[in-house]
Order: sequence, then structure tokens, then C-alpha cells
Amino acid sequence: MSDKKTNKLNRRTFLKIAGAAGLVTGAGVMMPKDILSARPEKGGNGKLNFEVAPGQLDDYYGFWSGGHSGEVRIVGVPSMREIHRIPVFNTDVGSGWGITNESKKLLRGKAAGDTHHVHGSYVDGTYDGKWLFVNDKLNNRVARIRIDYMETDAIVDVPNIQGAHGLFPQRYPKTEWVVVNSEFQTPVPNDESNAKNFNNPQEYYGMHTIIDAERMAVVCQVMVDENCDLAATDYKGKYSMCTSYNSEKGVTISEMLAADFDYLIVYNWERIKKALAAGKYKTINGAKVLDGRKGHSDLTLRIPVPKNPHGVNISPDGRYAVCCGKVSPTVTVVELSRLDDAFAGKIKPEDCIVAQPYIGLGPLHTTFDGRGNAITSVFIDSTNVKWNIDKAIQAEKEGEEAKKKNPHIVDVLDIHYQVGHIMATMAETKEADGQWLVSLNKISKDRYINVGPLKPENDQLSDITGEKLRHVHDSPTYIEPHDCIMVRRDIIEPKVKHRVEMFDHPLAVTKSGVERKGKDVTIKMTANAPLFGLQEVKLKKGDKVTLIVTNHDEIVDLSNGVAISNYNINFVIGPYQTKSVTFTADKPGVFWIYCTNFCHALHLEMRMRLIVEV
Amino acid sequence: MKKGLLLIIFIFCLPLTGYGQYSYFEHRYEYKLNDVLDAAKFVQKENYWEGYSDGKLRGYVFLSDKWAKKLVGYSGKHMETLIGMDTNGIITGVKLIFHSEPIVLIGLKENSYQDFLKQYPGNNIQKEMSVGKEISMDAITGATVTAIVQNAIIFESAKKVAAQTGITKSVHKTGQKISETYTPMNWKELLSSGAVKNVRIMSRDLGLEQDDIYLDLYFGVINPPSIGKNVLGETAYTETMKGLKKGETAIFVVSRGSGSFKGSGFARGGIFDRFNIEQEARLNVFRDTDYRILTSISPNGSPDIKEGGIFTVTVDDFDPVNPFTFNVMLRYRVGSEKEFRSYSTEYRIPEKFLE
Repeated sequence: MSDKKTNKLNRRTFLKIAGAAGLVTGAGVMMPKDILSARPEKGGNGKLNFEVAPGQLDDYYGFWSGGHSGEVRIVGVPSMREIHRIPVFNTDVGSGWGITNESKKLLRGKAAGDTHHVHGSYVDGTYDGKWLFVNDKLNNRVARIRIDYMETDAIVDVPNIQGAHGLFPQRYPKTEWVVVNSEFQTPVPNDESNAKNFNNPQEYYGMHTIIDAERMAVVCQVMVDENCDLAATDYKGKYSMCTSYNSEKGVTISEMLAADFDYLIVYNWERIKKALAAGKYKTINGAKVLDGRKGHSDLTLRIPVPKNPHGVNISPDGRYAVCCGKVSPTVTVVELSRLDDAFAGKIKPEDCIVAQPYIGLGPLHTTFDGRGNAITSVFIDSTNVKWNIDKAIQAEKEGEEAKKKNPHIVDVLDIHYQVGHIMATMAETKEADGQWLVSLNKISKDRYINVGPLKPENDQLSDITGEKLRHVHDSPTYIEPHDCIMVRRDIIEPKVKHRVEMFDHPLAVTKSGVERKGKDVTIKMTANAPLFGLQEVKLKKGDKVTLIVTNHDEIVDLSNGVAISNYNINFVIGPYQTKSVTFTADKPGVFWIYCTNFCHALHLEMRMRLIVEV
Repeated sequence: MKKGLLLIIFIFCLPLTGYGQYSYFEHRYEYKLNDVLDAAKFVQKENYWEGYSDGKLRGYVFLSDKWAKKLVGYSGKHMETLIGMDTNGIITGVKLIFHSEPIVLIGLKENSYQDFLKQYPGNNIQKEMSVGKEISMDAITGATVTAIVQNAIIFESAKKVAAQTGITKSVHKTGQKISETYTPMNWKELLSSGAVKNVRIMSRDLGLEQDDIYLDLYFGVINPPSIGKNVLGETAYTETMKGLKKGETAIFVVSRGSGSFKGSGFARGGIFDRFNIEQEARLNVFRDTDYRILTSISPNGSPDIKEGGIFTVTVDDFDPVNPFTFNVMLRYRVGSEKEFRSYSTEYRIPEKFLE
């Protein structure tokens, strides 16, 4: 679909129906001639209606990272209602994530995390609604969420790195690879075998790690001297990128700020594949590590960017990479079609730069409206700056005098306060539709009733259909979303389904009962509101108990909770879902197992005794 | 298999207390074939019994789970019913064998369910009998889903046995098919052609004080492109059709007004208790798993809707080309009094959308 056509797309066309499973939506969204609109909207007039009345549904699925809460959240856009939370790297006492055996198997003892960037899987440059991927900067992992159930289904530990930060999936032809960057340089390997380098920062390295999306396993790591911050992939399946702010290999702030230029590092996938096939790697901690260092490698290209750059984002037409200067008040626009020549040595890396317009103090991230405009978050100024890419390039050609007039700036919107990431609807796809913009502001200060010293972040929603950015709504968020994507409802909704196959889980219980083998006891139990399949279970003190519960209710939305009093155990099972826990019955007495998730008029009566005999 | 596994001792216990709880929710009754048909001798056939007296065939006895097991009540379980019918199609007796409907939760006694069933003997299944009209809900007021589904179980089973034993002719197929041609139509044209039908109930018709529209409801079969595509728009139509299995039919229902056709009871029971469709006395009750929300409709001139849905018909042998009845059953209050009213509307896909 051309951008032009996308821009004309009226959201009413894809927002009509919702619900059931198994439907495949076509990429092409067609528009009927006659449209009834409950919330009238005409593209480009800057008067989008953001009200979502009771019973009406949002137009976009927003997927928000949860920062150091370790989770992912689903926010309805434009209502900005938080609709769901997906536990990922955290412990969630509500759903039992981090408590059940199933989640522990994925978490492998690490139930704290720091999610920054959540991105969807792609087919041909737009979301296919299959998976989400998210990084864990704290424990250096990447998780995958299956969109049909909105559940984390795989977590891969990434070796040899720290500060797993920028993450981006392959956009074309489909997501086979996901890249993740290490923001903190460390010794490689970082263990006793390399103790001599612990205090030798010159022997610290950054890594650009490639992960196989299907297998959720590390394909390889490209080792560089620089740190690897934000990530991007192109729209042709040829390159991935990272910004680097610590080319100095500094270990203190002043050292990291020493150089006036750092880099946008571009990784050449064809050459990486060839190097892997040719065996040009060292295996370190199970990962194939390729040498991408300057002067040692043809896998990487370094485009100099001022100064300590942060975000890198690709324009929806696939033509430009926009790097934000952070300490420099400029952004650097790189024309991707020049990369081939630069890799071939026909032009210098800096010749790929086509514009370096002034934006404001502290530009961090850029998003796009699909109509040729970019919108950049500016941290120190506390603004969202809308600017025209073509005009910036034109001014660059005309020279310094033309640039001084800042002809590219379209609008500057004050935000409240200190913006980090910024994202427009569908902006990381070729179907960027220029409807809504979210500014994820780090500080809320006086925007909400005072809740004490720890205040929420502040997400601000703006209508970007008009020439000016029109701020329409504030919503507070708890610790601490960094980034988000907003995906059209018609892409996600048909993929989301009710669980229909009980035996997805190999331990699904169809008949309740107790199995004992010595001190090992397995309690198999059905739950069907308002009854557990057993009314009592007798145990001996010291028994090692595995409790497996399957919810047999097939009514949509009828979940049960299973909580064991004084045993610190709680988890929730949706219809047809099975979960299990293992614990030692170390306290004698009578312990009520009860349903925590309201299920029935007789919910309170849904309980049973666990009798632990002396 | 490892030897050790053989040593595992399996103690499957369903303690008596557990059974006690289950029996509180599951009611099973003993039965004799004579309970529902007066006959001296019964001869077992494949899925029913023939009853004879004085060497003459007196009628048939059958269990509903052999004929209408897909019909499930509020509990999500089928209400097993023993039914007797004479050779003319007149019901001679009905006995409930098993159910787990939570009628106690709404303050009813177990006996009231049996009382409800006492209305059936003497009625001929070739005549229409629907809950709220021929069949009174008085005995189990409030248990709308239970009553409607129980009625459908009796009818579907009896109709099928009647067709098999030659009391009635089997459902006739017109041999017509839905035309695949698409003609753009606006809302007015869809209504005037009969492709979309309207049910309009004013509050004062229900005896309510306010002077407004209680329910202004529109429905139609989605499958013909000239209906579905015009009503839903191209994308939603294509998606809906892709979601249907071969031969399945979907309908849309939208409404505005102060009342609601969806109600809110379906959330816990999974069953929409305010509307259903019937074809040749076969009832299709819609469940949450057959439903997708519909928040707006496309055609020029169509009203802003308050609520809507796309519903897949799941009853066996539903033929969208044949006429069917759309029933709306409203429970409402006038002051402190609970009232129940039902409305039926015939629907047939207009001839021009068939071939």
C-alpha cells in the first residue's frame, strides 16, 4: 500500500468488528464509499475525536514497555485506558507469573527485569500480529510474547553483554531476526577466565546481538569497541543499526562525553551471513562472536554523528535513518540508499548524511506521520518538534544561510515534562498513518493530584492530523514505560483468541485426584466455577507437593484464581488453561485453598481444604 | 518405560464430600420409559423406543441427548430430557433426567423446573410453541435461558424423531443458493428490500413511563454480498466470511434505544438470553463464542448504533435460504414488577439475492 493511500485511510473502516479467533486480515485495508462515523474525523483537519464512549472500543492497540516494572502493558488508543498487563521479566502476584512452574521455567530464577522497547513482528514492512519482542536491560534477556493469547512464550538469555537496550525486529521480508544492543561495554568473556581485563576498559566491548525470532536463540554477536545504544532495521532486510554514545570507551561521564562525534554503526547482514558460513567467528559462552571492530572488519560501517547520539528511527518510506543528537541540538539524516556505496568504499561514511537540521536542546527520539514529516522528542526543551524531512534536506543543499532560517520546523509543542520516547500510530511501519502521537514524558510534577514523592510518568496524547500538533489528553503511568508502539486494531484483533485447546499444556487435568510416590505428591485438579474438582486433600508434613489445576470453564472471560492460604501461592487460570506450582508442605494445619479471581455468585464458597497432618 | 514408574501408587480419591458438592449442582433422576408414554411394551430402535399396547404402535420415547446434545443451558451442560410422543406428534410426557442449571441461585426450587415441564403433554409438536407465548415461564420466572433452551431441546428432539418415524416430512430444501453478485445499496434500500429487518419497541408498548424508543433493532443475514458487504463494509465482510466454516451462516444484529438486546447476563453464562432465531422449530441460541462485537455499520443513511454484534449460527441443518424467525425476549421492570415480553419477526433473504 502506498503511503498516500494509507494516509487517506479512514479509521472507521478497520474499527468495526472485533473479537473471535482464527481470522486472517489482509494487509490491504479497503474503504467503503459510505462511512458512518460515531466519532467524526476527516484526515488532516486536526480535529480527531479522542473520546471513546462507554461500550465503544479503541482504534489502536498500544503496546507499552513497563520499564523496571519488567512488564509490558496494553493501552487502548486514543482513550489511553490501560487495558491489560503482560508480565514478562517480573513477578506478578496477581496472575502468578514468577510463582507457577510454567513461568519459572521461562524466568530461570530471574524475576526482575527492565523492559524498554517493545516491537511487533513484521511481514513486508508492517505488523503481522504474531509476536511482540521486548528487551530486559537488567538481566540481559529478550522475551517474545505471542499475540494470540497475549502471553510471554519464550525468553532467551543473551550471553557476553550488559545493558541489553535497543531492540528491533527485521522488517522485510519478514521477521526472522531480532537485533538487541548492549549499551554497557564489558570484558568479553566477562568471567574469571578474563580477570586480567576487569579493570582494563580498553578491553571492554559492545555487542550487536542477532536473535532467531522463531527459535528464540542467539544467531551470532557482532563485537565492537563502541557501546551499542538504540537499534533499528531497514525496510529491505539488508541492514541493522545502532547508535553509540561511548565510542571513547569511557567509564565515567566525563570520559563518555569526551569526543565531539560518536557513531551510527550500520551492520551489513549479507556480509554477516557470509562470515558465519565461512566460520569467521569465535564461540564465547555458546555464542558465535564475529569481529566488527573498526579496522578489523568489513561487517560494519561507522557514520560519524554528533554528539552522544541517542535514538535512531527509520522513515516509513524506508529512505532515511534519523539519529537524534542528544548532547547536540541537531538530528542527523542518513540516506539509506547510499549505504551500499559506502560499504563498497565508493563514498565515505559521512557522505551518507543528507541533512543535519537544528531541532532543539536534547533531541532523543523521532517518529513519523507518513506524510513526510518527522516529530522529534526534545528532552531539555520539553517539546515535541514537528519538522519536514524534505525541507531539511533542501536547506542542507542550499547551505548555512538557508539552514539558519530553520525552514524545516513546522510546529513546536510544549509538553509536561521532559520527554523521552515519542511514537506516532503505526509509525514504525510503511503504513504510518499520522493519526495520534504519544509523548512519553518522564516527569509529571504538577499534572496530577499529589501522590507523594514518587509521582507517575506522564503520557501525553496529541492529534497529529492537522498541521499543528494538538495536545488532547494526559495519562499517568506507573514505573516506568520507556517506549511504545500503536498498532491498528484490525491487525491485532483478529489474531487474539480465546483458548480453545486445553491440551496446549501437556499436564492438562481432566480428572481430579491425588497421586503419591513416597513424599512426592501430585494433586491434579479441575476448576469449574464455583467448584474445585476436590473438596479436600490430605498431606503429611514435609511432602513435596505439585499442584496442577486446569480451568474447565469454556465461557469467555471466566478465570479462576487458585490461592493457598499461608503458603504464599496464588495464580490465575483462564478458561482451558493449566498452571502448576510446586511447594513443600512444611506447616501442619488446615489451609484453605480458595478462588481469588471472582468467578461466580458462589465465588466465596469456591474453596477446599488442604490438610497437612503432623 | 522406566521400571520405577511402575511403582507409582495411584490413589485417585473423589471423597464423598466432593461428590456431595457436585450433586448439589448436578441433578440426576431415575426414569422408566412408562413415565412419558403409556404403553405395555417397548422396542428399542437405534436412538428411540417404540411403545406398543394391544399389539398397536402407540408412540415413541426418546432421550434428548441423542438428538439435541448441542443445546446447552446456562450451566454449559445439556439438560437431558426423556420425551414421549404419540404417532400423531402429540407429546405424551416429558421428564427431566439430568441438569445442572443453577436455578437455586435465583431463588427457585428444584420442583419448579419439573412444574415448568408439565405444560408440554397434549401439545402437538407440528404447531409452534415458543416460550413467552404458548409456553409460560411462570414456573421458572427469571431462568430465561433455562426455559428457552429446555423448550428447544424438547422441540428439536421431537421434530427429528417425528421426521425419522414419518410423522412429518423432513425439512424441505429449496435448492436455492445465495447469489455471489454484489449490488451497492444504501440503508433505505436494504430495509425496503427486506434484506435488513427492523424490530421497533417503544417504551410505552411495554408499559414504561418514558416516551422513547426502547429498542430499535435491525438484523439480517450477512452471507449475501449485497447485504453483508453493504452493511459491514468490504473489510469487515471479508473478515467475517473468512471466519465462517463452509456452509455456516452469520447474522448481524444492531440496535439503539434505551434498552439492550445483548443484555449483560451473557457475561457469566456465556449465553445471550434476549434473542435467538428459530427455523422450523429448531432454535439457535447464541453463545459468547459465536459472537464478535460490531461497533458501527456502513451504509449511507444508517443510524448511529448503540450496540451490535456479528453472530454465527451453529444449529444443525440451518438453511439461510429458508425463512427463519428472530425472537426478542425482554425482561424488564415496570416499577417493582418484573415483566417478560417476547416479539417475533419473520426473516427471509430477498429472492433477488438468491439464485
